[in-house]
Amino acid sequence: MRFTLIKDVKHDQSMKPLLNGLLIFTTLYILFDLFVKQHTLGLSVQTVSTTLFGNADEFLDPMNESVFLEFVHMQTFFLMMLLLTLSAVYIRLLHKKKNTMLVMNLLMLSGVLTPITLTLAYFYAPTLVVSYIFFFFLWHITALYMSLHSLWELNIAK
Amino acid sequence: MPNRAYHLSLLYFLVFSLLLLISSTAIFALKIGFSFESVLQYYRGNEESFISAKSYSGLLKVILPHIFAFGLFIMVVLHFLVFTKKRDTKELKYLIFISFIGGFLELFSPFGIISGYDFFVYVKIGSFFLFQIALLYALYLLLHSIVFD
Repeated sequence: MRFTLIKDVKHDQSMKPLLNGLLIFTTLYILFDLFVKQHTLGLSVQTVSTTLFGNADEFLDPMNESVFLEFVHMQTFFLMMLLLTLSAVYIRLLHKKKNTMLVMNLLMLSGVLTPITLTLAYFYAPTLVVSYIFFFFLWHITALYMSLHSLWELNIAK
Repeated sequence: MPNRAYHLSLLYFLVFSLLLLISSTAIFALKIGFSFESVLQYYRGNEESFISAKSYSGLLKVILPHIFAFGLFIMVVLHFLVFTKKRDTKELKYLIFISFIGGFLELFSPFGIISGYDFFVYVKIGSFFLFQIALLYALYLLLHSIVFD
């Protein structure tokens, strides 16, 4: 076995399908994450607030502190691994584009702020649920753009 | 340009790692606690406080995803140090060893606690801090390398 650096991943017979597979799985994760979150935490200010703080009128209990922390802990881990992998592929394929740094910053910043705003909303300021929703959708949209753009660059762009 | 972008990506990764360590400390503090009695109660149960004792299968369910996650997390964080001036140093070798041993003891010491060995309560608390400190130090080394090297 010899380990060599592959300079042109776009035209490599093994790396190209491997990256295609990874990017398709990443895209699927980003899309299905929306459905899962809709059923667990909610996707609107109203539903997220009800899940976190409960609703006396509907006899719904607030989310337990340790359950909430475990949720944030798990989400942070998945988010971290997903964004690191996606950004590594994106940089490899599109480092010559002018807006790469901007897109990267947008993805990472919105990704980092998603669990932070959710935690702050739960413990200190419920109004920050609005910010959480904003950053949650922002990282999903940016990540979706990055994976689709990478797929385009890998298969269609010359 | 790709180097700058990789540095940026790594910087954000450090922030995520810090969030992960903070949330794990918060979970430990809230669910278990850092005193000898609280750790013992959490694993062996307490009738007066209505805390049920943990079973071997219950513990295994909790640690199973963590075994893979710990290994992956330690590897990902520490492998970046291979690209710094710390490559091939004794310091990095010790850090790798301490991180994996700390993680292993943190995961498996509860089995010793529910088997009746009180000593493992100290192992659990000590290994938790050892693991956290080792990874915090690795994150600091990475940050230092990105900013100053």
